[in-house]
Amino acid sequence: MAQLGSVFVIAGFFSSYPVRVALVAGLMVAVVSGTVGTFTIIRGQSFAGHSLADIGAAGGSAAYLVNIPAIYGFIGINLVAGLVLEFIGIGRLRGRDLATGIVLSAALGLTALFLYLDTIASTTTNVTASLLFGSILTIQGSSIPIILAVGAIAIAIVMVLYRPLVLSSISKELALAKGIPETKIAIGFLVALALNVSLTAITVGAILSTALLVGPAAIALKLTRRTGRAILIASAIGVIVTWIGIYLSYDSYYWPPHNHGWPASFFVVAIIFALFVTVDTIVRMRRKYLVGKRPAKG
Amino acid sequence: MIFKVIGKRASLLTVSALIAASGLASCTTNHVANGKISVVAAESEYGDVASQIGGYFVSVYSIENNPNVNPHTFEVSPQVAAQVGNAQVVIENGVGYDNFMTMLESSSPNSSRLQVNAQKLLGLPDNTPNPHLWYDPNTMIKVSNALVADFSKLQPNHTNYFKSNDAMFMNSLQIWIKRLAGFKNSYPDTRVASTEPVANYFLSAAGIVNMTPYSLQANVMNGVDPSPQDVALQDNLITKHEVKILIYNQQVTDPLTSSFVSLAKKNGVPVVGFYETMPTPGFTYQSWMEAELNALINAVSKNISTYHL
Repeated sequence: MAQLGSVFVIAGFFSSYPVRVALVAGLMVAVVSGTVGTFTIIRGQSFAGHSLADIGAAGGSAAYLVNIPAIYGFIGINLVAGLVLEFIGIGRLRGRDLATGIVLSAALGLTALFLYLDTIASTTTNVTASLLFGSILTIQGSSIPIILAVGAIAIAIVMVLYRPLVLSSISKELALAKGIPETKIAIGFLVALALNVSLTAITVGAILSTALLVGPAAIALKLTRRTGRAILIASAIGVIVTWIGIYLSYDSYYWPPHNHGWPASFFVVAIIFALFVTVDTIVRMRRKYLVGKRPAKG
Repeated sequence: MIFKVIGKRASLLTVSALIAASGLASCTTNHVANGKISVVAAESEYGDVASQIGGYFVSVYSIENNPNVNPHTFEVSPQVAAQVGNAQVVIENGVGYDNFMTMLESSSPNSSRLQVNAQKLLGLPDNTPNPHLWYDPNTMIKVSNALVADFSKLQPNHTNYFKSNDAMFMNSLQIWIKRLAGFKNSYPDTRVASTEPVANYFLSAAGIVNMTPYSLQANVMNGVDPSPQDVALQDNLITKHEVKILIYNQQVTDPLTSSFVSLAKKNGVPVVGFYETMPTPGFTYQSWMEAELNALINAVSKNISTYHL
């Protein structure tokens, strides 16, 4: 009987229009995040990625004021902020967190202003929650083309820059010696990163963006050192986690309190966290075991 | 005096500027200007009824008066706090819809200030799910009676004036109430869908059945995402023509509610817009209610949409 029930739920799951839109959007966002996120970690720009997502909230909240889809606001401000961060000198280790933090708080201040203006100048409901914590299940079907286009551009940038990006991410000095235009590569990557966090922001929200951006990639990089393989693993983890999150959010409609689905963002972030802790523990234990068996070489 | 504003932001600014200029904000005693009773209504529909009952002898200020903003997300300004502090009579909806009034009243305590609270007059509990009480035909009957009593207490020699205004108000209100019953007879068990619970008391008074799951309506009102199950149900109501009309809350919108409107448009289901505060300009409470009823009749009998009043 319980099995019959769950079969019924799954059947309704795939025929539901909001679910199908969410699955397609989630697929694209996870693949982009797997690709860009892996480089974000290798390049040590996780904080910049997180900041860009938070900064994006200013654009998203402004978009509601002028009544355009939030994604355009995210993309617009993230591109500008990405370039500002590069100008500040995101590659430089000393002082960059400080500079990023100051730009970040200025943008969050703007978000506070725009969210307030939204309440006194527009009829919008649900802005704050959906902006900060995402609402993948209420993405409109009409937004799918723009999501796919933005995702494709981000992936294309990474693919075009792939070889020099790998080199410059692993060793700047070597890249310079080989005559790779470091600044151009860095700017190209920041554009991809800006597009990526715009996508993660509309699925899991500006604040939770980091989870999807660096979570699956961080797990993948614990399992392999090869960039290409890490990208594939991170994308696969991202897709599976996002889809499970959507499924659980759908299914939670039948959990108490009845008829109120839990947010998909919660499930996505919770699963990524659990997976990270599990994989980290296994990798550590395995290393300990290997070290015990074969004492350090050389 | 200047408080005679049921109006626009421009006048609100004027009022606040004048308060600041005259140092009126610091005056905490009851303020009787030109012998008029100062009334502050949380929402413009209550302010309109107060103007109709009090006539020449009241000056009414309505806090929520802009039909282009969402009252559920209202934030108080210092000017509003000063207005409430100086009011002799305050009118509020209750049921958590205008909690800011309770806060403002307790922050400037005044034992002689009279309070008219629609929730209390109707004897509704605090956990009443739908706070849009002014769409219930009984509400303004009780509110206007309470206003006559309060105004007469403050200005006993104008009691007859207030009573005769109340009688006029009741007569015109009865026309709407009779027409609601007429709608019930002419179009029994009309089924509709809605984006938000705003019109539900009005709809049930007209014998209309709202097919939308209440959880979806409440989620839109409270600013959280409705579940995909509820959204799919709502889409089906529209695409399978299980409803005659889509009731659209003009003041609580997001991409999801707009998608219901475009779906209705695509499927030839007429849309009727409802409001949280008085649509501007030129309406009285009763003419607004009749205009909504006319819009429903046009939708159900001629398939005509009325997005805005």
